[in-house]
Amino acid sequence: MSFLNSIGRKFNPDGKRKGSKAPPLPNMPGSSGSFGGGSGNGTPSSSTSSVVHRPVTQGVARPLFICKPYVNSHLLKGNFKTIVVLPKHVDQGEWIALNTFEFYEYIKLFYTTTLEFCAHCKTMSAGPGTDYYWLGTDRQPRPLPAATYIEYVLTWINNRLTDETVFPTRPPNSLNTGGQTQIIGAPHAAQGGQTWVGKEAGFPPTFFPSCQAIFKQMFRVFAHIYHTHFVNIVHLSMEAHLNSFFAHFIMFSREFSLLDPRDLEPLKPLIDAFDEKGMSQGIKNAPA
Amino acid sequence: MNPYQNQPNQYYQQQPGAPQTPQQQGFAQASSPGGFGSALPNPSNGGNNPQQRPRTAGSLGSNKFEEDYSIQRDPTTYAPITRERATACKLKIELFYKQNVQHALERNVRRQELETRISNEPRMSEERKNMQRVNFGSQESNFLRLRRTRMTADDFHTIKVIGKGAFGEVRLVQKKDNGRIYAMKTLLKSEMFKKDQLAHVKAERDVLAESDSPWVVNLFYSFQDSIYLYLIMEFLPGGDLMTMLIKYEVFSEDVTRFYMAECVLAIEAVHKLGFIHRDIKPDNILIDINGHIKLSDFGLSTGFHKTHDQAYYQKLLEKAQAPSAPRDRNSVMIDAIHLTISNRNQVNTWRKSRRVMAYSTVGTPDYIAPEIFIHQGYGQECDWWSLGTIMFECLIGWPPFCAEEAHETYRKIVNWQESLYFPEEIHLSPEAEDLIRSLITSADKRLGRHGAEEIKRHPFFNGVDWNTLRNIVAPFKPQLKSMTDTTYFPTDDLENVPDAPAVAAMRAAQAQGSLQPPGPGEETGLPFIGYTYKRFDQLNRHGGF
Repeated sequence: MSFLNSIGRKFNPDGKRKGSKAPPLPNMPGSSGSFGGGSGNGTPSSSTSSVVHRPVTQGVARPLFICKPYVNSHLLKGNFKTIVVLPKHVDQGEWIALNTFEFYEYIKLFYTTTLEFCAHCKTMSAGPGTDYYWLGTDRQPRPLPAATYIEYVLTWINNRLTDETVFPTRPPNSLNTGGQTQIIGAPHAAQGGQTWVGKEAGFPPTFFPSCQAIFKQMFRVFAHIYHTHFVNIVHLSMEAHLNSFFAHFIMFSREFSLLDPRDLEPLKPLIDAFDEKGMSQGIKNAPA
Repeated sequence: MNPYQNQPNQYYQQQPGAPQTPQQQGFAQASSPGGFGSALPNPSNGGNNPQQRPRTAGSLGSNKFEEDYSIQRDPTTYAPITRERATACKLKIELFYKQNVQHALERNVRRQELETRISNEPRMSEERKNMQRVNFGSQESNFLRLRRTRMTADDFHTIKVIGKGAFGEVRLVQKKDNGRIYAMKTLLKSEMFKKDQLAHVKAERDVLAESDSPWVVNLFYSFQDSIYLYLIMEFLPGGDLMTMLIKYEVFSEDVTRFYMAECVLAIEAVHKLGFIHRDIKPDNILIDINGHIKLSDFGLSTGFHKTHDQAYYQKLLEKAQAPSAPRDRNSVMIDAIHLTISNRNQVNTWRKSRRVMAYSTVGTPDYIAPEIFIHQGYGQECDWWSLGTIMFECLIGWPPFCAEEAHETYRKIVNWQESLYFPEEIHLSPEAEDLIRSLITSADKRLGRHGAEEIKRHPFFNGVDWNTLRNIVAPFKPQLKSMTDTTYFPTDDLENVPDAPAVAAMRAAQAQGSLQPPGPGEETGLPFIGYTYKRFDQLNRHGGF
C-alpha cells in the first residue's frame, strides 16, 4: 500500500516509459465511499496501470483544445499566484490537502458532465498515440473502457481522501477545551530527525507521495477529457471553465512539485499556451 | 449570444455546403483534412478514431498542416441531464473561484490585523510576536482542515427535538468532538424541490452566513447529504416571543416597548443586509440567554409558510370568495365572540393550537402585509406591517386579523381598513395606538417606508436609547439550569405532533433500507449549489454558550 515504493519505480531504468505504478484498485461497489457502482465481475484485481503508446498511421488535425478561440478561453484572468502560493504562516500539508480535496471534488463534476459520451469510450485514451492501461493481477497491461478506468481512479482517490491515516481531519484528542482549537498530537512528531511535508500538522510521511499519485491520476482524467471529450465540452460551453480549472491544477502542481513534467506530455501544447499567457507568473518551477 | 462573435474570423474556414444559420455569423465551421468536422455534431462519437488524431501528443504544437478550426455549438442533441450537469458544473466552478479569491483576501486581512496589533505593542518581545504568528498560522491551518472535513449529521448527537415543520425539524444537538451545543435544522431536499422553496433556503443561508449582526441568529455550518440539508445554528435557550406571549398573555406598554424597539433594530439590520424578511412573527423572534431578541427563520422553520407562493394565496382567495361558504361566515361570528378580554383562555387555546398547526401544516398569514398577497411588488416596508401586527398582539392579546381559517384571515388583511379594530375595553396609550395605526396601513403611507429612523423617532419610543439597547437588562431573562435546558421550548406539544407526511415517508423508507442514495451523476445538486458553509471564526466562537 505504501506509495513510497511506487514513486521510486515510476520509470523504467532504461528511460523508456512503459509502466508506472498506479493506485491500488479501488474498493468495489458496495464498500463505503465508493464513487459509483456498476462494475461487475471480471474487473482487474491488481493495483497498477501503465501508459501505452501506440503507433499512429496518419497525421491529422490539431486537437480542438489548442485551436483558437478555445485555447484562449478562460474563466479567470491573470495569474494564479494569489490562490496557489502557500499563504504566510500556513502549514504546507494543510494547504496541499485542502487543494487536493478541492481538485478532486471539481474534476468529478467535469467528468460527470461527460458521462453521456464517455460511456462509448473503448479505451482510456489521451490522444491517438497514448492510452492509459490498467494492469491486471497477471501484470498484463489491459485496456479498460475509459469510464471504468476513471471510475476506479475516482473511487480510489475518494478512499484516500477519506482515509484518516493519510488525510487526517480530526484531532486525535477529540474533546476540546473550548475556545482554543489546535491541531494537537501530531503522532509523527516523535519520530525525530526526519521531516516531511505536513509533519507538523500531523500528516504521515506517506501523505505527500499519496498526493503526487492522486495528481498523476487526476492529470490522466484531464488528458482524457481534453483529447476525447473537448468537443462535448465546447458544445456545452464549458471550455473557459475547464481551461481555467486545468490551468489552476497545473500551476498548483508546479508550485509544490506534485507532477512529473514527463507525465504532462499529452497536454503540453495547452500548458505552453497557459505559460505564454503569463498564467504561471510567480509560480515555482514555471519555465522562465 | 455568441461569445466569439466579435473576434476576427481569420482562423476559420467556411465548410463547403454547411448550412448557415443566423447564429453562425462570424463563427464558421472549418474543414480540415480528416478533421473533426464530421464527428463533431454527433455527441455519441466520443470513441477513438485513430485516423482523426495526430501522431503523438507532443507533436500537437508543431502545427504543420494543421489549422485552427471551430465548431458550431449545439448542445440540443445532448441529454437534458447532461446539460443540467454542465450548468451545475459551471456554476459551481464560478462559485469556487469566487470563494477562493474571497478566502485569500480575508486571510490577508486577518494577517494584516495581526501585524498591526503586534506593531502596536512596542514592549512585546520578538519571541512573543513570533508566537503570535505561529498561533495565527495554526488557526488558519485549522480552517483549511475544517474546509475539507466532510461534516455529516453523525458529527452531532441529538439531545432533543425542539421544533417540527412540514419539511424537517429543529433539534438541540451537541457536536461530538468539541461538546458544543447548537440548534440543527434539517430540511428534506425532495420536498423543498417540489414545493419550490429553494430560493427561500438559499436566502436564509445567505442571510445567516453573511451576517455578523447580533440581531440575527448565527450560522456556523451548513452541509447536505443525499436526503437532507442541514443548518447548524446557535441555540437560543430563551425560546421565542410566541411562547412568552402564551405565558404572559399580554405585555405592559413598557415591556412591549422593549421588544418592539429591539425588533426595529433587528429588522433594520436585516434590511441593511439587503434582505426583506417577509415572515416576521412572534415564533421567529427568538430570545437569547440574556433575554434579548434575535431574528431567525428567513423563510423556513415551522413549515415554510409559503409566504411567496402566489398560487397558494390565489387558492385562498378563491376559497374566500366561494359562494358556498356559510361555515366560514359562522367562523367569523365565532371569532368575534371568542376574542375578547374576558376570554383569555380561548385566546391561549387558539395560540397553542396555532403553534401545533404551524408545526405540521402551512401557518396562518396573520402577520403578512396585504401587498404580499396581491400580485404586485413589495418592499422592505412589508416587514414594518408585520411589526405593527405583533405590537397589536403584545398589547391586545391576539393578532389583529386572526380568524379560525387562513382564508378568513386573508380576507381580513386585504380589507384591513374595515377589519382593524381596537377593543374598547383595553386601554392603550395614544402613542401606542398611533404607532400601530401608522404601521398597519397601506404601503405608501406606512411608517418606516423611508427607513427605520422614522419609526425610532415615533413618540411611543421616547426615552429609548437605541445605541445601548442590547446591553440593558431585559425584562425577562431565561432562568436556565444547564446549557441544554429546553424549559422555554414547549416540547410537550411536540410529542403529540406527528411527523409531516414527507418526513414520515422518508423515515419509513430509511427504516426499511429501501432508500437508494443517488449514484454519481444521478444528482446534479443543481438547486443546492453553494450550500456548504464553514465559518472561519467558528473556531474561536462558542455556539450559543
